[in-house]
Amino acid sequence: MKFSYSWLCEHLETDKNAIEIGEVLTNIGLELDSLSDYSSYSKFIVATIKDFKKHPNADRLNICKVDDGTGTYQVICGANNVKKGLKGIFAKDGMYIPGTQIHLKKGKIRGEISEGMLLSERELNLSDDHDGIIELSEDFKNGTSAVEALKLDDPIFEIGVTPNRGDCLSIRGVARDLSAKGMGKLKPLKYEKLKKLEFESPISWSIKNDDNSCEYVVSRYFKDVNNTKSPEWLQKKLISLGLRPINALVDITNFITVDLGRPLHVFDADKVGKKLDMRLANANEKILALDNKDYILDGNTTVIADGNNVLAIAGIIGGDYSGCTEDTKNVFLEVAIFNPNSVAKTGRSLGINSDARYRFERGLDKNMVFEGLEYASYLINKICGGSVSKSIDAGILDINEHKIKYDFNYFNKVVGLDLEPQAQVKILKDLKFQINERSDSECDVLVPSWRNDVKNNIDIVEEIIRIYGYDNIKVTIPSSSGEEIYNIENSLVNKKFKTISKLKKTLVSNGISEVITFSFHSNRAQEILSGDVSLKISNAVSDDQSFMRNSMIFNHLESAELNLKKGIKNIKLFEIGPIYNSSQSQENILSLLISSQDDINSIYKSANFNFYSLTDLASKLISSLNFDIKQFNISRSTSNIYHPGQSAEVHMGKKLIARYGKVHPLIMEEFPKLKNTFAIDLFFENLPIESISRINSINISDSQFQFSEKDFSFIFEKEQNLYEVQRYVTGIDKNLIKNVEFFDLYESKDLGDSSKSVTFRVTIQSKEKTLEEKDLEQLHKNILEKVSYKFKAKIRT
Amino acid sequence: MDIKKVLNKATKEIDRSSNQLDLQNVKVAYLGKKGKITELLKSLKDLSLEEKQSTGAALNQLRSEVDNLIMSKFNQIKVEEINSKLRNESIDFSFPPPNSISPKVHPISKTFDEVITIFRSMGYSVAEGPDIETDYFNFSALNIPENHPAREMQDTFYIDDKDKDGKPYVLRTHTSPVQIRTLLNEKPPVKIIAPGRTYRCDSDSTHSPMFHQVEGLFINKNANMGDLKGTLIEFCKQFFNVQDLKVRFRPSYFPFTEPSAEMDIAYEIVNNKIKLGQGDRWLEILGCGMVNPIVLENCNVDTENFQGFAFGMGLDRITMLKYGLTDIRSFFSGNLNWIANNGFSIGDF
Repeated sequence: MKFSYSWLCEHLETDKNAIEIGEVLTNIGLELDSLSDYSSYSKFIVATIKDFKKHPNADRLNICKVDDGTGTYQVICGANNVKKGLKGIFAKDGMYIPGTQIHLKKGKIRGEISEGMLLSERELNLSDDHDGIIELSEDFKNGTSAVEALKLDDPIFEIGVTPNRGDCLSIRGVARDLSAKGMGKLKPLKYEKLKKLEFESPISWSIKNDDNSCEYVVSRYFKDVNNTKSPEWLQKKLISLGLRPINALVDITNFITVDLGRPLHVFDADKVGKKLDMRLANANEKILALDNKDYILDGNTTVIADGNNVLAIAGIIGGDYSGCTEDTKNVFLEVAIFNPNSVAKTGRSLGINSDARYRFERGLDKNMVFEGLEYASYLINKICGGSVSKSIDAGILDINEHKIKYDFNYFNKVVGLDLEPQAQVKILKDLKFQINERSDSECDVLVPSWRNDVKNNIDIVEEIIRIYGYDNIKVTIPSSSGEEIYNIENSLVNKKFKTISKLKKTLVSNGISEVITFSFHSNRAQEILSGDVSLKISNAVSDDQSFMRNSMIFNHLESAELNLKKGIKNIKLFEIGPIYNSSQSQENILSLLISSQDDINSIYKSANFNFYSLTDLASKLISSLNFDIKQFNISRSTSNIYHPGQSAEVHMGKKLIARYGKVHPLIMEEFPKLKNTFAIDLFFENLPIESISRINSINISDSQFQFSEKDFSFIFEKEQNLYEVQRYVTGIDKNLIKNVEFFDLYESKDLGDSSKSVTFRVTIQSKEKTLEEKDLEQLHKNILEKVSYKFKAKIRT
Repeated sequence: MDIKKVLNKATKEIDRSSNQLDLQNVKVAYLGKKGKITELLKSLKDLSLEEKQSTGAALNQLRSEVDNLIMSKFNQIKVEEINSKLRNESIDFSFPPPNSISPKVHPISKTFDEVITIFRSMGYSVAEGPDIETDYFNFSALNIPENHPAREMQDTFYIDDKDKDGKPYVLRTHTSPVQIRTLLNEKPPVKIIAPGRTYRCDSDSTHSPMFHQVEGLFINKNANMGDLKGTLIEFCKQFFNVQDLKVRFRPSYFPFTEPSAEMDIAYEIVNNKIKLGQGDRWLEILGCGMVNPIVLENCNVDTENFQGFAFGMGLDRITMLKYGLTDIRSFFSGNLNWIANNGFSIGDF
């Protein structure tokens, strides 16, 4: 919210300057966003247009002779309000214009020299008004500074008001809060209640089926008014807040909205019927509102209507048709209390953000209904003349002053500070809370009508500490116990974070960089990967981010493509993050992508990265977590992420531990520039990390006796899973067979389409002795026989 | 037979040998079974005893001299051969290495790690919650009523699927729902932090539709606002590595805490860079407050006996502040150059 220092001082008698007040505003929870300083505007000065003529080469431009008191300048001006004798604000060559952010430079405009500029309000950042140049009263002398002429010596505060503090969406409310903090005394309002209310209002109210949206409404009818421009004091005030003066009646309602926080509305009484209703709209009823937009209403919207038309959307915005213009002769003023929830709901569904909605949905001071009515009546009558009717109302105003039984000790318990009941009571009284029936330990507190947010003990504590000052809370550091630390170290989540750290270290050591990408992916990705359609983001920012991802592959391919564009040919990246299978199933996984686009035959060209390099990497990752990939079941992957013939899946029981392979050609079609791309998904959360210390990898015992190696070649069926063979061979003699390593795979036509030849080397070593030739031969024979029998394999010689 | 002549001849032949084979032949020619010197030695038997003694001594000396010459020539040839081999094996040491991106850990990872470590030392364990939340956990249970401005469509992402209350699931707008999930599962005392991904429909240089937060929650019999201040000041000192840290707590509003506060850190501009800790400008770091009793009651916590505080801060934001990074969008672009420039190598992680 914005307000000027002088306006604040109309409500607050204070000897504090703007900077002091600014600091206190922040300390009491009304955060100061900015405090404007226009002192640099003193370089802009008042000048008079002595004469002007049409620009010979441009219809819309004039050549003005401008006198600033020291000399005469030629200024080319395009404003439509140029006239002889006009006094405006003049900027000379070289000056910086804040509204356009440019430095003026003397030069020719369409062939005519221009030595300066006459400024609009927008060019001075005072408002959005760019309809013409500023016109000042003739009383100002040429050469007077803009600061003095425009009264810019009045600092402007802009504060952030939190949603609970509807009471501070008015200058009076801010002044009241400042006075509670000892920044001054709240002044009484300066207006007189009208004594002559001469006639009954010809327009009356009824509250109908409005879903309890309107609690109370009160109105007055103003006859024979003269709606002109507002007086200068009122215009200045609105301008100081960046509001545009329109006409006196509208300006008065805007003024009271800001001054008292009390939104009200004026109808042109000649454009509305004699009986006005508060009611729910009919489906598809329409209104052209004051913001010049058409709104189609539904049955949940409360409106103000006469027999024919919807005149206003209750608590949010008036209608264009029934609004007041300078031709308005008779006026009907409406002051109402609307339910915050229904205003919020309607405002949200129609997408209207008005000053009225903003205040209604944060809750109004109900006592302000009559203050607003009287103050507005006084101003309308004073400025526009005419006569005023008696009040006409409908509904029952329930000033819900509520009482709270407050326990003084509660403050000390929550804040950690001993504050005497007396001191607490003083703060509450300064905030205009009434204290009744006080004992040593508790009291009854009556909450002022403007504090709808204060409902229970904790709210009272907050009020007291807010004014007492957060700075006065003593700092203490709660110590942690050894038991806490022990429990953390042994918690599952802690182990998981350690797992993640280990993975990151392994990955980076293998030359793979970490990325973090959005949890979303595109429509196209969703289509190709056929994820759960209910994971669509209803209000997605773009098609590229319209689904919760069920795989990171697309994000990583996009990243690879981006990096390739930047000239990085060998892309290795990983991410540890979530994928989503459904709205209730999220898994944190490691996903990595390796894409090599070597296009030159370099000395450094390492062996081609292929599926087997990927298998090696997957195995390393798993062993970095103290598991052995060979412990698990490994089979062909069925995931649609990978090439069906060049991918694998690792399972422990039914749990998926990892999947990896060459990225599916169908996916790669979306990324035609990328070649040779592989990916791994590691579902590390599925590993039994809680028992990580027990499942340590297969123990490799170190023996001092001589070892022997023997190579075996077999012809297997093509689909034979070699991990099974490896596991089987290892099991033939667990004491002697130390290692089984595969090193050759041969598939060719002469073997037939359904066979493959495989060679592996068995390392044999005893823990007890050096094996003799006959022991070895026996074991070799054993291996040959068992493998060929078990797997129907042919021994290759 | 002139011994001297033999020696001269042998010396010449040894000298002429340029490889091991030649030298071996020389050796055989003089010292072999039928070599010249061997033959001469054999012929000694035909001489008189006197001659045997004088000639024998001279011949023996000749043999040992030739033997030494061959040995030393042999060593010389060997060194030359090795040198020649090394010369042949020489490769171009000046061939430059390929340009490669140095692999790094993302700066957010580093922050995650540091935040968890600092709070662990204060006794906080890590808790987790899902990114896709129910309306109840993300809003209602946290005392954010149906028509609160935070629920406006421009802030919250919704997904098509609906929860058991018939409300669309939301992408959590903050990590605060983890407070609710934890309190429903564990009896107080509770002392947790919950780092994770959060989402809001917003995108510019300081806002990203996805960002990271860490939530903190401490509930016991007497945790108060003094403890809250102390905990957070200590955290900031350690995280930003500034011992003399000027901070301020100012009243604010969050539906799920009361009293609520925002914490600012003082800073100044030195050489066009932000320097944290001192100065008369303020940077907002986090929001915090005493957990609203309404929230505790929503979680069936006995508010007569338990109270405490909660806080939440943007991990991306504190990362940007600590390392002087300016555009949050680059965090999530997957640009490996950016990671290489702004990330951390394993030694620093």
